[in-house]
Formats: sequence, C-alpha cells, structure tokens
Amino acid sequence: MALFKLHVPILDDIKTKGWRSALVATVDQTVERITAGINVGEIRSILRGDAPQRPNPRVKPHADGFWMHMRPTFFHEQVMSLYPTFRLGWLTTYMLVFETITGLFLMLWYTPSPDIAYTNMLSLLSNVPFGLFMRDLHRLGAELMVMLVLLHMLRTFVTGSYKKPRQFTWFTGGVLLLLTLFLSFSGYLLPWDQLALWAVTIGASMAEATPVVGREVNLLVRGGADIGANGLLRFYLLHVFALPLIAFIFVGVHYYKVIIHGHSLPPGAEKVGEDTARKVPMERRMYFLPDVMTRELFWTVGWLALMVFMVTWGGWHAPLEPHADSQITPLHTTAPWYFLWLQGMLKLGDKVFFGVILPGILSGLLFVMPYLEVGPSRRYADRRVGLSIAALTVVIMSLLTFMGTPYYGVSSSPDQEVLTTLAPQTHPGLLRGTAYDELPVGDWVASGWNNAPSQGLQAVLQLYNKEIERYSDELVNAKGKMSITEIQAGLKQVTMQLEWEDNGAQASEPVIVYLHRDSGYEH
Amino acid sequence: MTAQALQTPVVAPLSRREFLYYIWGASMTLFMAQMGGAILWFSFPRFKEGEFGGIITVPVTDIPAADSGPKDLPDARVWLVNLGAGRLSDPRQPADYPVQTGVKALYKICVHLGCLYKWAPANDRFECPCHGSKYLASGSRVDGPARRNLDAFPIEFVDADGKVLASSAPTGAAGVNENAALEVPKGAVALRINTAFRVEGASNTLPGGGL
Repeated sequence: MALFKLHVPILDDIKTKGWRSALVATVDQTVERITAGINVGEIRSILRGDAPQRPNPRVKPHADGFWMHMRPTFFHEQVMSLYPTFRLGWLTTYMLVFETITGLFLMLWYTPSPDIAYTNMLSLLSNVPFGLFMRDLHRLGAELMVMLVLLHMLRTFVTGSYKKPRQFTWFTGGVLLLLTLFLSFSGYLLPWDQLALWAVTIGASMAEATPVVGREVNLLVRGGADIGANGLLRFYLLHVFALPLIAFIFVGVHYYKVIIHGHSLPPGAEKVGEDTARKVPMERRMYFLPDVMTRELFWTVGWLALMVFMVTWGGWHAPLEPHADSQITPLHTTAPWYFLWLQGMLKLGDKVFFGVILPGILSGLLFVMPYLEVGPSRRYADRRVGLSIAALTVVIMSLLTFMGTPYYGVSSSPDQEVLTTLAPQTHPGLLRGTAYDELPVGDWVASGWNNAPSQGLQAVLQLYNKEIERYSDELVNAKGKMSITEIQAGLKQVTMQLEWEDNGAQASEPVIVYLHRDSGYEH
Repeated sequence: MTAQALQTPVVAPLSRREFLYYIWGASMTLFMAQMGGAILWFSFPRFKEGEFGGIITVPVTDIPAADSGPKDLPDARVWLVNLGAGRLSDPRQPADYPVQTGVKALYKICVHLGCLYKWAPANDRFECPCHGSKYLASGSRVDGPARRNLDAFPIEFVDADGKVLASSAPTGAAGVNENAALEVPKGAVALRINTAFRVEGASNTLPGGGL
C-alpha cells in the first residue's frame, strides 16, 4: 500500500488532449473552485447578458460558497428599484467596510498617546501623500454612516418593514445604530484636539449621571479622573478593536435575518397580513448573480465618487482644532451633531432624568417597538397614527438638535460672547480668516468700521459692531477696541478689548490673536 | 395490565444528569462572574499619593486675600476661594445655602457635564463655557442647567510640625450636605486638600438658585 498517492490531473490531460485544451480545462476548473460553482463559460455568459439556464447554475455559489451564502439567491423585482429600500442598508454596510479599510491605513501614521497624537495629525495633513485625503474620507464616511443608519431606520419604519416576522431584524438594527454612534463618537477623541477632548468630556459626564454605577462607569471609560493618556488609549482600543468586532458580528446576524425573511415588498404589493417575500414567482425573480450584484456595485461606485468629490472639489474637510488643553474649555463646546438632541434635552433640566433616564426609556422603546406595535397592516393608509408619530419624532429631534447648539440658551458674559464671535475657540472665524495684508497696523474701533482702510478690516469691524449692538442692553455705551501691531516681520498681534458702562466704567479681559503671514486660515 | 403499567417510563422531577448539568452551569456562571469582577478591578484607574486623586499640600501663601478673585490650582484641579464679609452680604447668594467666611477648595469641573468653568471678573462669578451654568464664589449655583452647587474637596490646615489645626466639617444647615468654609487658623503654614473624597454640592434647581 502506497503511503500517499500524488496525482496531477493536468499531466493526464496533456497526454490525452494536448497542451492547449489541457490548460484551458485546468483554468476552467480552478475558476470554478474559486467561485464555488461558476466556470469561465458561465462567467462569459453572465457578462454577455444571457438569460440563465434552467436549473440556474448561478445559484450554486450561494449554497456552496462562504461569501455568497450571506446574500439571498434572488430578490423580488419590486424591491429592486430605488423605492422602497433606497439602498440605505447596502450603503451603510459599504460604509462599515470602507471605514475599516481607511481606518487601517490611518493607523499606519497614528500613535494613541497625548504626547504625539496631535503631531501625528499635523504630519498626516502636511507631510504624508494623500494624508489629508485619507483622513477626510474616513471622517466623512463616519458622518455619512451615522446619517445612512438613521435614514435606513426611518425608511424601515415608514414602509412597516419591522412588522412580523422581521421584529428581531429591527432589534439587531437598533444594536447596530448604537454601535455606529459609539464607533463614531470614540473616534472623536483620537486627534487629541480641543474638539476631541471636550466633546468626549461632555459625553463621559453624561455617563457619570447614571444612577448608582455612574461614577464607576466614568472611571472605567476615562481611565482616570479626567481624560488623559489612559482615556485616549481606552477610546483607541474601543474604536479600532472592540466596537468594530461587535459591529461585524451584528451585521452578520442582521444579514442572516434578511436571508431568512427576504426583503419586504412595498406595502401595497401584497395583501394585508401576508408576507410573500420568500414566495417569489419565477417570472418576477431577479437573481443576485449578476443583476443585483451589478446594481450594488454601481451604487457603491457612485457613492464613493460622491465622497471623493466632496473632499476634493466640494471642499469638505475633517475639522482639526488646536491641541487639546485640559485646562481650557473652549466657549461654545458641543457634542457631535448626532448627540446634540441629547445636549438639547440636558438644557431642559435634571441631567439624571433628561440625560440618562428619559433617553434610556426612549431608546429601550425603540428596540422593542416591533413587539409592541403589532398592527397587521403595512399600508400607509392603515397606519396614520404610527406615521404621524414618526413625523412628530423627526420634528422633535430636529428641534432638540437645534436646542443643543450654542444658539439656544447658552450665555456667557456679553463681552466674552462678542469677542468669541470674532475669535472663536473652536474654529478659525472671520478675523483669522482675513488675509494678512488686509489687517493694517493701527488702533481701530468697531463703530468706525465704515472708515477702515481695507475691505477685510471693514468686514471684521462691521461684525464686531453688529455683535456689540446685539448686546446693547447689557453693554451700555460700549466701545469695541482693536489694536493691530506687527510684532515681528510677518507676525501680527491683534488685541481686542471691550469697554462699557455698568455702575462705572468696565473693561473686558483683552483677547489676543496672533496671525502669521503664512497661517493660511483664509484658505 | 400490570405489565403495561410497569413499562410506562417514570419521569423523575429531576434526573441526576439534569441536576449535574445545572450545578455545572451554576459553577461556570459563578466563575465567569468572578472573571468579570477581576477584569473590572483590573480596568479601574490607579491613583497615587501627591497626584490628583491623593492629598495635595499647598502653602498658606497660595490662599488669595479675602473677597478677592479665586486662585487657580491646576495640579489639584481646584479653584481656591477665600470668602470674606463681602461675600456674606452678596445679594445674589441664595438664602438656602448659608455662607461662612473662610477658605473653600472648589473642584474645577462644572457639575453639569464636566467642562471647566472659568472665573469671569466682569460678572464676579464662575461661568461655564459649555452650557452656561453660573456659580458664585461661594460655590452656589445661580443660573444655568447645572442642578447642584459646585463640588468641593475636604481641606485641613497644618502647622510647621504637621499638626492638624483645623479641618472642614459639614455646614449643619438643614438639607445642605456641604462642607463649611474654613477660616485660616493662627500658626497654619500649609493647606492640605484631599482630592480623593469629593463632597458633592447641595441640590440646587430653582432659577436664580435655591432648593
């Protein structure tokens, strides 16, 4: 008995069929193994646009292969147009993969330490080819992913696709929404700029308001009394490892449920209480290979093109504020936009109730909603109450989001507000954005903006004056002073100070801004 | 008849095998809980003496003059205030929180959402840049979304030999679980701030301050 038997089939083939035929047959077999069932001839038939044979050989990879087993074999042709899915789920999945890939590349140039993280950012932006591009794409992808998840959820609600038998799919979608929010939020801290530090400090303090365990949760997340080296490392590990891992697992569960239940048809397409997504008549089937896959690739490519356009000609850039400083909180710090509604609620009152208990109850209800709302009909006309509640929720969330911005209910002393408008601590603002030569040396006052010698200075002083007039009740007879000096060649110092009357003469703390000829804020 | 009855399998309420599975499951659950506890304990941050989180000692010369603006102590995360007679008669002070003259070590973090509030000399009060909470030098909240007075750390004065001359104690006012300000005793050379034990400010929810 031979200990092992070696058989190279191509050698036999060469003997019987000759070189050329043997090679073709071997390539064909190899391709069929890799695609789990589709040979070269079938691939060419797909590309030519031939109708599939009966039985359809193109469903084999779904049964035998790993990748295709995660997708349905065929879709109902009625879910293949833009409505009812709007491709939001697919684009969200694409964003998760996209973020993983761009994130891995960004990790090449990043060290999670407060000593060097910000320097890494500057080096990425100024020294690494396509560094700005990669960072912009990653950040834009994160924002878009949050948007896509929210829209996907809204769409699922509106078309009633959460109803029986898809309740658990909705539930896993809720988990994925939370994971997306935390993924995006944990990435906020990594650049170690002021925005990062203070947005995350606010977020962590919301967690601190949790009854009983709040203090412990906060210590665990921050890794210290405030966010420092430990906190950065913990957020980094959450962002690059723990959260993506959990997210990919739940995407698997979510996708599996879609295969089991099929894509729900448009609400009007089937009888009330019926679910025919899995009973598609032969003539209405659209097979995954090649039609669905081609369309999904088309959407992927279009979406990527849109993102590339936004970060290049569109001028969208990931923000980067000054280096994180744990001793200075910038005026008007806010949470990320998708948490602004929470910040708006916190302005209404007690942070335990409005920051933890109420959002907790609301998101809990969101998760179990399909198990409580059991109306059988998915048709719009039968769901007036549900759809009205959805519309109302969107309006209330928008309102709360507005209330979360600094435009609602935050006021520091008026002098600080005025000076911060001119020289914001969170973004460059008008003064820093004015060209170096447009700021002539001299002493200027806001009310005399008309007589300023350059257009740039006129605009700055006009804004200064407008802001002072806005607070004219508190700032009586206010005089907005601005003195510009060139303290060395190519470096100007702009000192601003407000003087007003309130039981005698008052003067604000001076605000000093340094501007270098090559700062480049105006770009 | 009898033979048939004997053949009917007798279902015991709990078989030995099932019982052992439960015991095994319970022991695994217990083990996992212990592992979870160990992991939590492992993950908690460590605090060292002399750093923030331990006791921080500053000389009494760091204490600002009575009724002047507060002094910033970055290492201790503290605004050191010295309340004089002027603060007692401040009309803005909510009556629910009686003020005594003396020194307080106010924790620098806004009790609303953790931003650093700043001393605004123009308005003679602390103001938070994030959501607009306002506090007097005494630590009492007078405006904004915060729902309690500022937190403070327990303090004590020691003399040159390290003997404790005075240490902060609760105000004693009904419903106000705050430490009273502490007068600088004669012969004190240093102030010890215990940053490990934060005393939360009293609940304060009304517009303009008050219970």
